Amino acid sequence: MNIVLNDMSYEFSGGTLQDLLAHLDKNEQGIAIAINQQVVPKSLWRTTELNEQSQVFIFESIAGG
Amino acid sequence: MSSLFIAGHEFHSRLFTGTGKYASADAMMDSLIASESELVTLSLRRMDLKNQTDNILQPLQQQGIKLLPNTSGARTAKEAVFAAELAREALQTNWVKLEIHPDPRYLMPDGMETLLAAEDLIKKGFVVMPYVHADPVLCKRLEEVGCQCVMPLGSPIGSNMGLASRPFLEIIIEQSTIPVIVDAGIGAPSDASLAMEIGADAVLVNTAMAVAKEPAKMSKAFRLAVEAGRMAYESGLGERRVQAHATSPLTDFLGALS
Repeated sequence: MNIVLNDMSYEFSGGTLQDLLAHLDKNEQGIAIAINQQVVPKSLWRTTELNEQSQVFIFESIAGG
Repeated sequence: MSSLFIAGHEFHSRLFTGTGKYASADAMMDSLIASESELVTLSLRRMDLKNQTDNILQPLQQQGIKLLPNTSGARTAKEAVFAAELAREALQTNWVKLEIHPDPRYLMPDGMETLLAAEDLIKKGFVVMPYVHADPVLCKRLEEVGCQCVMPLGSPIGSNMGLASRPFLEIIIEQSTIPVIVDAGIGAPSDASLAMEIGADAVLVNTAMAVAKEPAKMSKAFRLAVEAGRMAYESGLGERRVQAHATSPLTDFLGALS
């Protein structure tokens, strides 16, 4: 299915947010996720299912002043 | 040097630092360790899906340094509140450096949006550290809505122009019942010392350390300057006078020669 990930169309086999992160192979430390402009707490990543056209934004911590 | 308390958290160091602009993660860590800073700022951005970013969190956490996410990039109160909520999840902290600067050229903080965001974030349980202009009225308003400190600027971010706002910082410090942290523009250890001497509770320094030829050495210089300035403030600086006031007794023991 197709989701929108960080403003780009992204092909994903389906599943939860946790599955998406595993698929992206990203370090999970310092990450936050929002779906349709709502922040999804880390405790819900395992149970939050993604749907066709879900608008997902993943943010990461970086250096800054 | 006395400890600083913000929202019940004790800081032994009055030098807060940023993590931006360093040439490498190693240079940043060496510099932060030399600074002995106990609070460092971080930013959030949309994840780079193609490249793995340097993991700077782990070394910071190993060092036991408290993390302070900022809302840099936010142009409105609404965006800043969203950024703070994301940061709370990302870094598992309810502390936030609230900064809203819609203008990329001078990065001047938007006071009205900052006050709106601060009110909202405090209701949501955040410890809010707002970056603002050196505006005594705004700083008082932020205190009234429940901010745990204020962070007025010395001069524009990254400008190294020092305490251009000094007269207004002095009014803020005089009026404030919450800690005042001078943020932005501190370009030299002498600027940091001066901020502490006039009674600031802490300073936040990033650019001046990160872009130094030897960041770790510069960070140590800032640490010493902050300690010196604070100790001078605590011990009570002498009054300024226009006329001389002799330090040696003016006796006429040489009078016999004339």
